Amino acid sequence: MILLRRRTMLRGAALAGLAGVATATWRGRAMAAADETIKLGAPFNLTGNMASLDQPALNGAKLAAQEINATGGVLGRKIELVVYDTKSDPTVAASVGSQLLNQDKVLAAFGFTDSDYALAIGTLFQKAAVPFLTPGATSPKLPEQIGDEMFLVCFGDNVQAAAGAEFTLNTLKAKSVYLLRDSSTEYTTLLAKYFEEALVHGGGKVVKRDDYKSGDRSFSAQITKLKALSPKPQALFVSAGPDDIGLVVKQLRQAGVTLPIVGGDGYDTPLLLSVGGKGAHDVYYSTHAYMAEDSTPDIKKFYAAYKAAFNTPPENAFAALGYDTVELIVDAIKRAGVAEPAKLRDALATTQGYHGITGAISYRPGVRVPDKTVTIIGAGNNRLHLAAQVTPSWVAQP
Amino acid sequence: MRTNDLLFALVAFAVLTLASGYAPAVANDYLVRVLIVGCINAVLVASMAVSNGFTGVFSLGQVGFVGVGAYVAGILSLPVAAKAAYLPDLPGWLAGWSLSFLPATVIAGLVCVVLALLVGAPLMRLSGYYVSVATMGFLIIVNVVLVNADTFTRGARTFTGVPVETTLPWAAGWLVVTLFVLARLVYSPGGRAWRAVREDTIAAQAIGLDVLPTRLSAFVVGAFFAGVGGSLYGHYLGSFSPKSFYFAYTFTLISMLVIGGMQSLTGAVLGVAMVTLLSEVLRNLERGVSLGAISTPPLYGASQIVLGVVFILVMVFRPTGALGDREIPLGWLFLHGRKQATGVDQ
Repeated sequence: MILLRRRTMLRGAALAGLAGVATATWRGRAMAAADETIKLGAPFNLTGNMASLDQPALNGAKLAAQEINATGGVLGRKIELVVYDTKSDPTVAASVGSQLLNQDKVLAAFGFTDSDYALAIGTLFQKAAVPFLTPGATSPKLPEQIGDEMFLVCFGDNVQAAAGAEFTLNTLKAKSVYLLRDSSTEYTTLLAKYFEEALVHGGGKVVKRDDYKSGDRSFSAQITKLKALSPKPQALFVSAGPDDIGLVVKQLRQAGVTLPIVGGDGYDTPLLLSVGGKGAHDVYYSTHAYMAEDSTPDIKKFYAAYKAAFNTPPENAFAALGYDTVELIVDAIKRAGVAEPAKLRDALATTQGYHGITGAISYRPGVRVPDKTVTIIGAGNNRLHLAAQVTPSWVAQP
Repeated sequence: MRTNDLLFALVAFAVLTLASGYAPAVANDYLVRVLIVGCINAVLVASMAVSNGFTGVFSLGQVGFVGVGAYVAGILSLPVAAKAAYLPDLPGWLAGWSLSFLPATVIAGLVCVVLALLVGAPLMRLSGYYVSVATMGFLIIVNVVLVNADTFTRGARTFTGVPVETTLPWAAGWLVVTLFVLARLVYSPGGRAWRAVREDTIAAQAIGLDVLPTRLSAFVVGAFFAGVGGSLYGHYLGSFSPKSFYFAYTFTLISMLVIGGMQSLTGAVLGVAMVTLLSEVLRNLERGVSLGAISTPPLYGASQIVLGVVFILVMVFRPTGALGDREIPLGWLFLHGRKQATGVDQ
């Protein structure tokens, strides 16, 4: 008898579970038929190890959608963001992609700050011929790997590395550079490669290369070799991710290395100042936007609106990129004049000089990575300042 | 008797393959995807059960074999043009040709077998916590090699361009093959040797069982199907990176194994089914639900918390997992060995 009851219970639980999935499925279908909003998919890693980058990007996107809806939406319809948490797991990203396409029937989707997830979901959108934009996955190869439905809203790493190289050559007047890179991620290895190509093209040279691995706690081996160099380099390029850069800078300065340090948008984290401390002096990095109250008027406005909406200042530049992504999609819908994926893709591909808060966005024919102005930020005296705005004249091939 | 078994397996295989072939027409693409991931995970968890459950060698290195399987199969099946684009420095003997899905998958499994022999020979001498830590060392080594062998793996960069070929019939078919082979092995005299070694190594030695080869054989069999599962995973997503095959995935698979019951193959499948169903339902519920007047705001991350609590409850109230060491009787496939073992006449 007891056994029977337990079985019945198990069966009941299984049925309830199935019913849950079924209703989730059904609900999506019913809503797609009934309402009049324009649906944009927003898959982001809201939990897991990517959350600190993806959450601000989604918040920025939400802010843009709110503002657009407050002024009447687009084509007389409101924007609805269909948000999913992809749990920092590529298989979940693929499942969510399928939900967005088949249940929610979104017009387009955007998301992620890392290429693993963009690749996992991008192939589905390419197959379904629905545009997918990524606010923050900066691998410039992404669009050619996926196809004509994939767009980058941020610049590619080749662009920011070229801007960093020109800044090193022209502003810092440094021709010989020591290159230290984190060899464990795609972003840092590619950034170092693009930087070296652009530096050599501009007449500089890399005098010594060295590697470390994300998570290393001591960089003394690399620093000893650097100090033994003769002749001494004029600047350092450290291709590092957000978790390590504070410690690298701190240990370099403690060891008495006073040369300027240049890097990419991996430095764009509060950890640079909080871990780097006083060491974070004469440090420069390229990024998408200078997120502060004394920035450009556009960012200043965004900064205030974000703070009002989420009770916190924008955590990083991905917030502004999320904002620009939604604004860019809406602009393209307006230009297309109709909410259809194919027309939207054509409108996106012909974007010229779109004025975003992270810079002007244009797509050259057949290239779905924008040419954008790169912001160079300097750190010193425990604060950040806008060091330069660079539009690189020569960019390495992706 | 053997023909009966084979017949059953063939029928099961045919029915499942046919059913899953038609599934896309009935169920939607999302459910099909959940099922594919479920089948892949079931192959992996069942392969884990062989060493971790039946042989008592609690390995934390299984995902290392999954990663090796995914990369080996991915390199083999990458189209020649994609090889030139993504892996320009690949040596000539690998660059000029590519295999189709099935041979690539089998070879991936065999490479894992060779690797398991090399790794297992020293490690299977260890027991208890020691073997767990040592196999975890293997997982770390695999990760570091995948990140640094960039000629073959693109290093930390995403390995992409792998043809997306893992459809539901393929995944379900491999699951049936895995379960059939493992069931034949586990409920055979060899399988009883595995369990004897687990229960009491000294007693096992006293009746003439050699502990090292016995454990090693279980480790190697598990590694083959882990490699196969890795290939299925790689050909399902089409792109992956070394960080996909690390601690996060290890703990997902272990939780499925423990929830289902470590010493049961059907338990492995049940564990995967329960965890998958629960996490998918919760993942959709956490986005916020509205039932008439009641509606909840989105609470991202709530699903992981609920899953964690469920795991704790299972461990408190049913530490052996759902099935413990029992099997759900699935006709001849499992009954044959069990009945013999308990001396029941056919």
